[in-house]
Amino acid sequence: MSKPILRAKGIHRAYGTGHAQVKVLRGATLDASEAEFLVIMGASGCGKSTLLHVLGALDAPDRGMVEFRGENIFDLPPAVRGRYRNRDVGFVFQFYHLLPELNVLENVVIPCLVTHSFWSWRSIRRESRKDAIKLLDRMGLADRAKHRPNQLSGGEKQRVAIARALINRPALLLADEPTGNLDEKTGGEILKLLVELNAAGQTIIMVTHDAKVASLAHRRVHLSEGVIRETGNQSGGREFVPPAKTKVVL
Amino acid sequence: MYKWFLAWRYLNTKLIAFFGIASVMLCVAMVLVVLSVMGGFLDTIRARSRGLHSEIVLEAGTLQGFPYYEEFSEYLSSELPDVVRISTPVIYTYGIFRVPATTFTKPARVLGIRLKEYVQVNDFKGGLYYERYFPGTTHLGQQGIPVAGFTLEGEIELPPQLAAANAQWRQAETDRAAVAAFDKMPFEKALYPSVTSVLPGERVFAVTSGDPSYLGPERNGIIVGSDLLHYRRPDGKFDRMIARGADIALTLMPLSPTGNPTGEPPVRLALRYVDDSRTGIYEIDSLCVYVDHDLLQHQMAMDAQPLVDGGFSKPRINQLLIGLQSGIDINIARDRIAAAWSKFSLSLGDNLSDADERALSFVDVYTWEDLQRQFIQAVEKEKVLVTFLFGLISMVAIVLVGCIFYMIVEKKTKDIGILKALGAPGRGIGGLFIAYAAAVGVFGSILGLILGSVFVWNINAIQDFLASLNPQLRVWSPDVYSFDRIPEVVKQADAFWVAIIAILSSMVGSIIPAFIAARVWPVQALRYE
Repeated sequence: MSKPILRAKGIHRAYGTGHAQVKVLRGATLDASEAEFLVIMGASGCGKSTLLHVLGALDAPDRGMVEFRGENIFDLPPAVRGRYRNRDVGFVFQFYHLLPELNVLENVVIPCLVTHSFWSWRSIRRESRKDAIKLLDRMGLADRAKHRPNQLSGGEKQRVAIARALINRPALLLADEPTGNLDEKTGGEILKLLVELNAAGQTIIMVTHDAKVASLAHRRVHLSEGVIRETGNQSGGREFVPPAKTKVVL
Repeated sequence: MYKWFLAWRYLNTKLIAFFGIASVMLCVAMVLVVLSVMGGFLDTIRARSRGLHSEIVLEAGTLQGFPYYEEFSEYLSSELPDVVRISTPVIYTYGIFRVPATTFTKPARVLGIRLKEYVQVNDFKGGLYYERYFPGTTHLGQQGIPVAGFTLEGEIELPPQLAAANAQWRQAETDRAAVAAFDKMPFEKALYPSVTSVLPGERVFAVTSGDPSYLGPERNGIIVGSDLLHYRRPDGKFDRMIARGADIALTLMPLSPTGNPTGEPPVRLALRYVDDSRTGIYEIDSLCVYVDHDLLQHQMAMDAQPLVDGGFSKPRINQLLIGLQSGIDINIARDRIAAAWSKFSLSLGDNLSDADERALSFVDVYTWEDLQRQFIQAVEKEKVLVTFLFGLISMVAIVLVGCIFYMIVEKKTKDIGILKALGAPGRGIGGLFIAYAAAVGVFGSILGLILGSVFVWNINAIQDFLASLNPQLRVWSPDVYSFDRIPEVVKQADAFWVAIIAILSSMVGSIIPAFIAARVWPVQALRYE
């Protein structure tokens, strides 16, 4: 068994107050190993995205803990938690969430810039641009580097979002229905890309409600009534072979 | 650094930012215009006040004046040669000014001056009108009416002395446009012996059919405040109704050393109008006339008068104007002269008459600033008040910038979520919006400084243009504000501080929205609709 990279225990999360309160997560527990491709499945509105947000420290649980490499990320000061989001986790959203004022290259580079000081700005910018160009080249977007997000197709936007998520070489890639907003062909290309990344050693936790998409993962878990109901290898899934050493994706 | 990078991008792409820039720009321009005009107004008043008096004034503040001024002048020359350059006596009283040719009358403050000395202690000479175009021809001594004649070619020519003086001016004048303007209309005609102008104009001389000469009885000269006698046109120039050399009558009431009327009938002085004085302060130019000191002193019975028990009284004056050596601090000079006056008045001993002793007790030493303090302070306070009021109005801009940033933050909530999801710290997000506001402030300030400066530099042209459309739009009244032109100088220090305050205000306006942006969890911002 590979060593766990992420462990979530007893995650509770509710929205609203009083009678209007909706308990979305009711003690969800989950772990993921390095280089594993884990899929969280469940019906729409069951709390998959909420769980993924909590795992990525985009949201705080009401109760429970999330350990990343043995450290509870919600015990960390906000600035360190910001660094976790920036360096340890890459997030791919269903709706891409690219910054419309920036071009493709700048969107990919921005995670490298947000945590660096004024003094290291020029060198970081130069280095990260080189990395970003490599990533875009790999994503087949080298010729779109100067384009604005509104000039791209959905698939291209999602590939830019993946490139952005990978620019800081994160240990964990969290993908929230990355194909949910794409047609079948384009979605297939994105999934192929994710599988390739995983094959190269990238740990991925993906949320989807599509069983076909989930079949590409090593492991699938089901979120139902706020808890992870079912874990383990299911038929049709890829076999997870823990790598001897995590590869560098870039 | 990414804050500035993103702020710059937002600035380039968001139309709403331009509303922020526009509001900062207008406020900066407004405050700069107010500061410049009010500051210029204050500076002009100070400069004019400075040019009006000498640096130091020994003054009794009474109409009957004080004696022993000649002795004190000599005392100053011998005791404080390193401080005092020159001193000159001045007499002032009040009288009735009358132009016999037109029967025009007006109350006037009459100053008796020694012109040659007087022009050495202040800027009086620079305000003389005819003296500019005919240098060396204005004096307060006995003189006739300069009457122009005709050459053999039928052209009008002035008496040789005036023609030579004018030629001298033409040669020395560096402003060739002024010479060209003079040549366009050298002077207007008034028919001799009637010296009222045929058509009112800028320079009026009497004209006769004979040779140019000085005619009429010789009389002492009088210099008249430019607004006392003449009509000021909207362009600031004057229409003169009477010719240079016209008869002027002054009626005065002499006072005894104790300030009582002497019992003699009022004195009527027949004088010759030689020039106009323009200090630039309306209150002075519409009231003051200047005559020869010795003449006025004699007519006012302030010269040495025979005493009942034999001997003569000491001549009296109202002010002793003192010009200082260059480089002397004016306040130090005042203190040293005041000490010298105390020492001098003590040295006069017990032989003084009661009236003299009392008159001397009123005497004090002032700087020109002391004399004008009340007026200058009033204008200073007005400047502070107006700047404060406009500053208050500018607060609207801060609130507006605050509202604009609140809207921007609302609109950019998703971006905030994205940036936070990418690991940007809350402090950085807050800093991004403050940097954005600073950029808005910087651009607004730069544009505001340009707009305000261009407006101030052309404020008189703008007023002239508006007045050409409708005379009611002339907002700057020389009668009210003393000066005919609106000050049009922008001080660098004013511009600098206005810009700094505007930038800081913009940043203050963005603090609450920035604080709000910094506090949200990424997912809250991402879910924001």
